[in-house]
Amino acid sequence: MKKNNLKLLIPAGLSLLVFLYSCKKTYLEVPAAGALSQSVLANKIGVEALLVGAYSLLDGEGSNAGTGNGPWATSSSNWVYESVAGGDAHKGSDPGDQNLITPIEQWNATPANGYLDQIWQQRYDGVQRANEALRVLKLAKDVSTADVSRITAEARFLRGHYHFDLAKLFNNVPFIDESITYSAGNFLVGNTAAILPLIEADFAFAYANLPETMSSVGRANKWAAAAYLAKVYMFEKKYAEAKALFTLIIASGKTSLGVKYALLPKFGDVFNPAKKNSSEDVFTVQMTANDGTGAANANSGDALNFPYGGETGCCGFFQPSFTLANSFKVDANGLPLLDESYNTNPLKTDMGISADKPFTPDNTTPLDPRIDWTVGRRGVPFLDWGIMPGSIWVRNQAAAGPYEPLKHLFYKSQEGVYTDASSWTNGFTANNYHLIRYADVLLMAAEAEVNGGGSLSQALTYVNLVRSRAANPQGFVGPINNSGLVSPTNYQIGLYTSFPDAAYANKAIQFERKIELAMEGHRFSDLVRWGTAKAQLDAYAANENAQGYLSMSGVKFTTNKSEYLPIPQAQIDKSQKDGTSVLVQNKGY
Amino acid sequence: MMNKLTPKKFALTFILFLLTASVFAQKTVTGKVIDSGKRPASGATISVKGTTIATTSTTTGDFSIVVPKGRNTLIVSYVGFEDKQVDVSNATNVSVSMSETNSALNEIVVTGYTAQKKKEITGAVSVVNVKDMKSVPSGTAEQMLQGQAAGVTIIGSGSPGEASNVFVRGITSFGNSTPLVIVDGVQSAPGDLSIFRDLNASDLESVQVLKDGQAAIYGARGSAGVIIVTTKKGKGKASITYDGFYGVQTVKQGNVWNKLDPQGMADLYFLAAKNSGQVNGNGDVVSGQYGTGKNPVLPDFIKAGPNSGVSASNPATNLSFYNNDYSKGSIYLIVPANKAGTDWYHELFKSAPIQSHSVTATGGSDKSSYLFSLNYFDQQGNLLNTYLKRYSARLNTTFNVKNNIRFGENLSVFYKDNPKIGNNQEGNAVNNTAWEQPIIPVYDAGGGFGGTSGSELGNSSNPYANQMRAKDNKNYSWQITGNIFAEVDIAKHFTARSSFGGNLNNYYGFYHNYRSYENAENGASNGYGEYGGFNQNYNWTNTLSYSNIFKEDHSLKLMVGYEVLKVNGRQVGGSRVNYFSDDPNYLSLNTGSPTGQNNYSNYYLQTGNSVLAKIDYAYQDKYLIGLNGRRDGSSVFGPDNRYGNFWSASAGWVISQENFFKKNVNFINSLKVRGSYGILGSISNVSALNQYTLYGGGGGSSYYDLNGTSNTTVMGFYATNLGNTKTGWEKDKILDIGMDMSILKNKVDITIDWYKKAINGLLFQDQAPAVVGVGSQLPQVNIGDLQNKGIDLGITYRGKVNKDLSYTIGANIGTYKSLIVNIPGAAGFFEAAGTHNTGNQVRDAIGHPVGAFFGYKIAGIYQSLDDVAKSPKETDAAPGRFKYVDVNNDGKIDDQDRTFYGDPNPKFTAGINIGVSYKQFDFSTVIYGSFGNDVLNYTRYFQDFYPQFQNAKSIPLLTQSWLPTRTNTKYPIVENGSYFSTNGVLNDFYNEKGGYVRIKQLSVGYTISPAVLKKYGIDKARIYFQGANLFTITKYTGLDPEVAGSSVSFGVDYGNYPPSKTFNVGVSLTF
Repeated sequence: MKKNNLKLLIPAGLSLLVFLYSCKKTYLEVPAAGALSQSVLANKIGVEALLVGAYSLLDGEGSNAGTGNGPWATSSSNWVYESVAGGDAHKGSDPGDQNLITPIEQWNATPANGYLDQIWQQRYDGVQRANEALRVLKLAKDVSTADVSRITAEARFLRGHYHFDLAKLFNNVPFIDESITYSAGNFLVGNTAAILPLIEADFAFAYANLPETMSSVGRANKWAAAAYLAKVYMFEKKYAEAKALFTLIIASGKTSLGVKYALLPKFGDVFNPAKKNSSEDVFTVQMTANDGTGAANANSGDALNFPYGGETGCCGFFQPSFTLANSFKVDANGLPLLDESYNTNPLKTDMGISADKPFTPDNTTPLDPRIDWTVGRRGVPFLDWGIMPGSIWVRNQAAAGPYEPLKHLFYKSQEGVYTDASSWTNGFTANNYHLIRYADVLLMAAEAEVNGGGSLSQALTYVNLVRSRAANPQGFVGPINNSGLVSPTNYQIGLYTSFPDAAYANKAIQFERKIELAMEGHRFSDLVRWGTAKAQLDAYAANENAQGYLSMSGVKFTTNKSEYLPIPQAQIDKSQKDGTSVLVQNKGY
Repeated sequence: MMNKLTPKKFALTFILFLLTASVFAQKTVTGKVIDSGKRPASGATISVKGTTIATTSTTTGDFSIVVPKGRNTLIVSYVGFEDKQVDVSNATNVSVSMSETNSALNEIVVTGYTAQKKKEITGAVSVVNVKDMKSVPSGTAEQMLQGQAAGVTIIGSGSPGEASNVFVRGITSFGNSTPLVIVDGVQSAPGDLSIFRDLNASDLESVQVLKDGQAAIYGARGSAGVIIVTTKKGKGKASITYDGFYGVQTVKQGNVWNKLDPQGMADLYFLAAKNSGQVNGNGDVVSGQYGTGKNPVLPDFIKAGPNSGVSASNPATNLSFYNNDYSKGSIYLIVPANKAGTDWYHELFKSAPIQSHSVTATGGSDKSSYLFSLNYFDQQGNLLNTYLKRYSARLNTTFNVKNNIRFGENLSVFYKDNPKIGNNQEGNAVNNTAWEQPIIPVYDAGGGFGGTSGSELGNSSNPYANQMRAKDNKNYSWQITGNIFAEVDIAKHFTARSSFGGNLNNYYGFYHNYRSYENAENGASNGYGEYGGFNQNYNWTNTLSYSNIFKEDHSLKLMVGYEVLKVNGRQVGGSRVNYFSDDPNYLSLNTGSPTGQNNYSNYYLQTGNSVLAKIDYAYQDKYLIGLNGRRDGSSVFGPDNRYGNFWSASAGWVISQENFFKKNVNFINSLKVRGSYGILGSISNVSALNQYTLYGGGGGSSYYDLNGTSNTTVMGFYATNLGNTKTGWEKDKILDIGMDMSILKNKVDITIDWYKKAINGLLFQDQAPAVVGVGSQLPQVNIGDLQNKGIDLGITYRGKVNKDLSYTIGANIGTYKSLIVNIPGAAGFFEAAGTHNTGNQVRDAIGHPVGAFFGYKIAGIYQSLDDVAKSPKETDAAPGRFKYVDVNNDGKIDDQDRTFYGDPNPKFTAGINIGVSYKQFDFSTVIYGSFGNDVLNYTRYFQDFYPQFQNAKSIPLLTQSWLPTRTNTKYPIVENGSYFSTNGVLNDFYNEKGGYVRIKQLSVGYTISPAVLKKYGIDKARIYFQGANLFTITKYTGLDPEVAGSSVSFGVDYGNYPPSKTFNVGVSLTF
């Protein structure tokens, strides 16, 4: 090649390349990889999938939001905020482990406590997922009227649920409907408007528009919406409305698969993952194990809440309280000690007794048999794991007490089936969380009867329904469920013969909720709505301290403050408009 | 630029012609040239400026030259000396005294697409002394660079092959603040230093760091600074060089964590129980391990489960019961207590060899050159089963075709095996050596591992077992980096250049998860996973340069170019669990159980294109002006903001070239003042998805078991990303005023720069309230503003005592002050460095430096109930616990009393390089220091607080903690309870002074005289002995004060792999 040619060729080539470069503007248009655009989803299948996405946050995790301290802070059961703060259980574990829980347990959390921001984030993410389904539904053209109505109702049910969870804990919180989006910039919504009526409206819509039977058991149906709506009425103290609705539910309520609501014959079966989605499940959060996600859909909110030592799992959190165990003491008729005397002469424990020293559990004090499905105590069969061996299963008995939780545990025989093999502990289980179960409905119904113009005898019937199931000896721990193990002999449970007056009835119902639904994430907000939190919890703190749980030493419930958690400081800070936050902090903080 | 004849040009040319024609006489000038020692300079070239007339001086230094009329300047040049211009307008005989060249000023510095002599530079460039840099024995180039360039902060660790934090002039982003690296024209992928990290030290030719606005020529990539690396080219006669060293990395001795022995742990357990009132009715302490009573008794056997005994005579210790195999039934452990105490740190950290061997073949002529090198680098980590083994090769060639065409390539390839721990992460192997209790033996009685299984032993895992089980885990990668280029002088003064370069990195690895039995927390099953992927990027750069000198005085260089960039990668991986056997030969993905399997893949792509231009103008080498401009297009921004413009302007004034200066100032040999201002950008922190609102889903994030199956889910979606098409380019404004000076007969070079770096519209994730649904990725928006101000100073002193003894001392200091000016969202801050125990440790807030530590400040310890009563109201306040500072003076301690108590940003960092040569001996040392920074020693959170897990604790808890009888203490009372006023909230108990000074290397070498070597066919030989990290002066109490992290959470010690004191012997041979 001649030099001259080359001299020309190079600049010519360069010019050509510049030309090509300028032509190819699409070079900078890189499509998003591994993701979908809204237009692809604006159809029936897409909207249904968005709805599933909204359901999927019921398990308390799976969102990028609210992950800071782990899924325990956002557990669907709210065990920290309801059961621990409500006196069912101690935080457990070593004192310094997850010690952000401690101030919550002591009804003295500060607005900067990371747990609060975390659950706030996770639940609002659920709200927005429900809203997203509603938003895209409006763009879809191929959805039948019936499906529009059902999908809207399901989404509003879920939105109601996520809001309600927050409202229970934080009182007034912003209501975020589908018009609120990041891109619209209209997200500075205040928290001064009453929230419960808005939540009520969502459930009322769901109740009016959901079919009785659904395509899958995990979906909310008409009756689940009815029960949730009635529950919201209870929190609004609209007992008459609640009573009417509960009556209807008890008469005609069915599960999403069309099975008439009924209590399972054996109390323990309610918590057995092998018996999940029974006639007792009104609305239940579905958990899975071994689904290929590395336990991301398991009951990870409870993953720390297993005995420490042995092979049941990890971490030794959520240890039932002395007071809770004592509450299962019954009188000669097998009825609870409604006079609140259960803490005098507390139930014998192995507190301060090393596991290699002998200990015999109390076998004379009459006890409600539900105790041993609720509280793991030394010397008693622990599902099919054998006899609970005492402090060797307790992480720090001196600091956190002798008891272990039970209701969310899996059986040894279920290991690898209902537990996820791919995670760092066995505690990622497929055990569902019962958001509302039929016994809960019956007890709420009883309460509504008493306070909503119904009859005491009807209330009595409901309570006794719950009690007679608990009294089924086939359902006691021991010989039936755990071959070779013997159940304690001092079980005693009887039915109420009458409710002489409303006050007595309320006491009985409240006590029944305490022991039937113990450790299930209902207690604290129950106490607050009954107005008994101060009395119950101060007595609780005093008893726990006396029995050796020194974390409650000197702890007092502060009226007009401790009823609700503080609004997370981070959210107040992020919600400023013209220098003032649209979020108002709760009283006392 | 076309040579079009404009009227103006024509006029100028005409006048010039007239001037030349009108004076047609000439004269002869004679003279003598002498050197700085007043000796005659023989062979100096004397030329008449502006003509081709030249002559050379005789052996006596004399010369005679004919000077045409109208020419009045002679240029005298002499090898090794500065060129000198002599005015002969009024003289016919001159004496010319030459001064020695300041070689540094003539050093060629690559300043982005073009190269300049250092004396022509108008920007702030740190030119690294590569020889000093290479003297540091390290597996990563980042570590070698530490302390070598003013204003470049590097924080590394002792973990072989571990990436370091590299910050040029402080942190410039809340996200990735990594500088751009260019190796032989190949640009690194955004935020990635890997093309630099694994360079073979022997191949390095030059390293320079662009720090100021002039990096605007790299536009959106230049904001965090630019490190420009060139590798060696072949030259001279063919030669082969061998460089190698072998050494031993030693381990810090003693009780490095200051841990209690088993008896101390038992005593502490009893102390905590008594202090907490946790005693039984008899006043006895109850312990599963140490018995029930007033005093602890160390057991013979650890109680490692319900079945195991505690005394040697206990029948439960019969080995026939022993089982550590899940498939054979319940686990039954028999674990003898190690009453003497296991030294976990030294079970894992051992002396380890390090070696490097390089062979380089090189040669070149005026037609072509080549360099071929091979390197084997093998650093065994001190920590069991961590190492870096790297094999690399390089081939650099150039060819000159005719006189005007050059082409060539640079290519390097490496393959490495580099298993690492998760450095500086809570719960890693380093951490566990602190946590694991000393009473636990490495092995139990049945030949299995000892561990925390059993009560009161804490929750750590046996770190020795973990590392042994990890020995079959592999982490391989190989990488090709290089470019091909062609350069053509297409016309007089014009050069066109095209370079296509890129980097392709492939990695793959696999890991086993054993199902441990020995720990308090054991996994649910065994498992095995594999992964692999690639990252690649290329840039194609085409430039056209013009260089000319007009009328002797006007030097003009122009360059225009365009560039195309692409960055992409893909990865895939999977894992299964429940393997029948842990035999590594059995493990593959398909031999595991499909139940619980997991797999993933993802890919990314980002493109960019740019046009760029650069002008450098100099008048009489006195007045220098540089202009850079660049227009970048990037796929990461939406259509509205796809292109961004960046530019810089700089100017320099070489005062020492002025006559008044030359006449009046003698002690300053050269002096240049310069200033630059530029607008740069950064796209490291914006994802290609940022502009889009996107939907997606994943099994874990949005699928749900609607059907109640317990093990399958139904597909679900959610809005994964909330997009923002308005997000645009970050604008980083850098103002730099500097000075370069040589004084004392060019023995001392000083470079000093003051700068202000204001990063406006910093790309950072929007901080909207949670009600928008923050499970969707919020977009990066341009809101944050950061500002760094500082001074960089570099001084080099070259001394020569006599012909045998000479020395150089180089020092560089970089100081900066970081300030956050704005933060996205209404709150004015965001928090980082969260742990599940303490919450966030770092708050980045307006008006404070990046990465500041935030929490309660301890005022002291409550001494009595009276003290408690008189102090501000504090939750859990009690004698022996911390009294916090009431920052807002409202009489109570709450969230509002949290404050900024620590700053991880050093006030300044400094490096000192000293080289001495005496006859055939040479000595060199590199000293690095970081001053004025704090380190949050989070390892103490676990060791210094009793309730923070029942792991091993430090000695002061037993001997120096508060008691009613021991009140003058720093450590609070030991309790088996967690309180707001002890460890319940993050306080400044863990904050420590993190400054340090370290001898990075010190070596003594001996060069064998060539006469001796000749008979062996060796041209040059040098042997040396070296010590690295010989000592570190610091007040920091942790393992090592050099603690890396991310941009917003550095200086938090979660468990940092410490660097080791190393002793090497090395040799360098040239054949």
